[in-house]
Amino acid sequence: MMPKINDFTEGKTLSNVASPLDGIKVLDFSQGISGGIATKMLAVMGAEVIKIESPQSGDISRSRGPFIDNIPHPEKSGQFLYLNMNKKGITLSLDNETGIDIATQLIEWADIIVENFLPGKMDEWGIGYSAIEQINPAKILVSLSPFGQTGPYKGYRGNDITAQSLGGLAFVTGDPSREPLQIGGEPAEYFCGLSGFSGALVASTYKEISGVGQHVDVSAQAGIGVAQMYSGLSYILTGKERGRRLASSPLYKTADGQVGITLRQTDWPGVCEMIGRPELEHDEKFKDMDAREKNQDEITALIAEWASDKKKQDLYHASQERGMTWGYICDAKDLIESPQYQHREYFVELEHPIAGKLTYPGLPMKWGGDQWNLKPAPTLGQHNEEVYGSLLGWDNEKINQMKNSGIV
Amino acid sequence: MNLPLEGIRILDPSQVWAGPTCTKILGDLGADIIKVESARRMDIARGDAHNPQIDQGMYLDNEPTDKPWDRTGRYLDRNRSKRNICLDLTHERGVDAFKRLAMNSDVVIENYRQGVMARFGLSYEDLREIKPDIIMVTLGSQGATGPEVAYGSFGVTLEQTAGVASITGYLGGDPSTSGVLFPDPLVAVASVGIVLSAIRQHRETGEGVYIDFSQREMTSSILGDMVMDYTMNNNIQVPIGNRHRTFAPQGIYPCLGDDKWISISVENNDDWKALAQCMDNSVLENDSRFTDTEGRHEHHDEIDQHIAQWTSQKDAFIAMEILQLANVPAGVVNSGEQLVHDPQLVSSGFWEYSGRGPSDSRPYLSRPFQFSKTPGATQLPAPLLGEHTEEVLREVAGMSDEEITELATLGVTANDPLSFK
Repeated sequence: MMPKINDFTEGKTLSNVASPLDGIKVLDFSQGISGGIATKMLAVMGAEVIKIESPQSGDISRSRGPFIDNIPHPEKSGQFLYLNMNKKGITLSLDNETGIDIATQLIEWADIIVENFLPGKMDEWGIGYSAIEQINPAKILVSLSPFGQTGPYKGYRGNDITAQSLGGLAFVTGDPSREPLQIGGEPAEYFCGLSGFSGALVASTYKEISGVGQHVDVSAQAGIGVAQMYSGLSYILTGKERGRRLASSPLYKTADGQVGITLRQTDWPGVCEMIGRPELEHDEKFKDMDAREKNQDEITALIAEWASDKKKQDLYHASQERGMTWGYICDAKDLIESPQYQHREYFVELEHPIAGKLTYPGLPMKWGGDQWNLKPAPTLGQHNEEVYGSLLGWDNEKINQMKNSGIV
Repeated sequence: MNLPLEGIRILDPSQVWAGPTCTKILGDLGADIIKVESARRMDIARGDAHNPQIDQGMYLDNEPTDKPWDRTGRYLDRNRSKRNICLDLTHERGVDAFKRLAMNSDVVIENYRQGVMARFGLSYEDLREIKPDIIMVTLGSQGATGPEVAYGSFGVTLEQTAGVASITGYLGGDPSTSGVLFPDPLVAVASVGIVLSAIRQHRETGEGVYIDFSQREMTSSILGDMVMDYTMNNNIQVPIGNRHRTFAPQGIYPCLGDDKWISISVENNDDWKALAQCMDNSVLENDSRFTDTEGRHEHHDEIDQHIAQWTSQKDAFIAMEILQLANVPAGVVNSGEQLVHDPQLVSSGFWEYSGRGPSDSRPYLSRPFQFSKTPGATQLPAPLLGEHTEEVLREVAGMSDEEITELATLGVTANDPLSFK
């Protein structure tokens, strides 16, 4: 079954392109997942994003993978390709005076500057917020970091699991009888980046009205701190720890995977009908809430046996038809094959000059009747000539000179 | 103090978590949020405290009082910085009032089940008739279209069907959902930027837009590595506990005391050397099997045992300080209490006090970002049901006192729920 996907392969023209941030200029020093998603959101929504990478190896995502055929290659990293759509890529070395001087000239072009170096680095280079404000107080700097630009942990190193831990999420995730568990996929990095995207828009909104820019300080710990909600709130309101709990939607094995079944009290008749045992609805053992709680193990066994040779999607749809809210465990293949995702054309196909044609998650929202215009991630330094030529007036000789000296 | 979003007005009939948290953040930053609830069906976050399947009851000071719907923890946290109007949208006068409010608002945000707004007569097309440049945002769990559009889901269902659960779980174990239904706050935080993007577009072009936002798709959108691994390599990822696909070792290790833990993550060989030195373990540092990442992945179990042996004799905070001084990414697993007292969160003002009076004032979580010139802050405590009905109808809908009284008499507006489970 060929999944239905949007084909954005080069050459397709789009009318009515969704481009709410058209005209906004973003200079992007950031890298990795948090930086990647922050400026990707700006770029796909129409802002012009110029992404600065180090000339030798580029964004750290290029080395993180997963890679095509599991062979490391800087132009074939799924993480980089997905997170850097629609950006223009240039190379620039920042560890020298010339590079910093060039960076300053690029800053003069930008409305918004985004970075995720450790706190203090941009200032050390002389391109931190106070320098940017001097150039033009209307400019906005968005800084993403593990813990924020100030405070006792500002110098601490942190990545996704560090944020999930110090941000309070890990303590309430997992089995109560075991060690805390991280949520997979590096969600804290994504939260941090999405907070950066939203924070940039807040500052941009204010600047449009007042002409005043500012420094936006985004903390990965605070980002997940917002997500965890229950742990902190439970302590604040009741003095008690919420802690880790057993799943409210226990999993049952099917022939092809698992379904998650949340059994509300009103679901019992529907469950009996689904498992082909309508008489159980009025059985003494199950006749009311207390009885069902007492005989929970028997109910679990009944459902488990019945589900074991069924297909997970069939159960998902059948339960929903009866007004129940079961879920099925989707892996990536299930997502691609999901009838809902296919209808929504959530997945898109893009052709990259080196990685080739690949399928990517698209955007999770529709914008009126307009189409998103998605473009593949840049190869390392792909837009050097275009950007340095048009913004700084460099001719080919100058660009080559800069490349030879390792600045670009 | 300047607020960055002053002058923006959002009409907000959204419920539960994603929509309300988005508008709370916008409200903290100065937008005028008009929360619309119905006496027939209040925001279910007010009533969730009764539902043992989703959470044990969490009321302010464990005291529901005779108006428990105004004291439910979840509700108090997510609905600060808003005004509240209680309107019956099944009544044509309620719909009329809503339309008059919409006419003077920039954005309508809702997350009703598909078809509900249309049944009220408040679909995007309906609202465009009275305000052609309205911005409307629908936060559907599946989006506003598709074969599963009418499917109900809890946050936990979305974690299962968006793909997160398939890569969350103990090593070698079953898929698992998080403890906190995080698709909702994820959508909330992203929505802030999306709403402001639409407002920006409107400022530039004069055009409104209908934004159809899928919570399930948003959750899948933060699984880039997992999806690409499949689409590129046909590889289905599975749970790997607290490990990392690249960094090694990584894990959550036990510390002194009951339920005390620390996460440690070694990103490169320098981190590994530093970790071994912190643990005073030259044997570990010099073992050639562990000098590169590949070797550390291969011998991860053995390395975990060494690390756990060291951490289990240390206080978690002391271990974190030792490791961070050596530049190793380490973080205490903060309990609720530790989170509230976390020195970094406290110093940055993450916890903001809010309440209806000194005895009710509590610190609640604020925002994931800070602004150097326009800090933002909690503007209002979470409103009582219908608390601002009259003021909002007068000021925003332009109604006279007579009209307002009439609506109350008809039962279109109210201050108490019609039923409370």
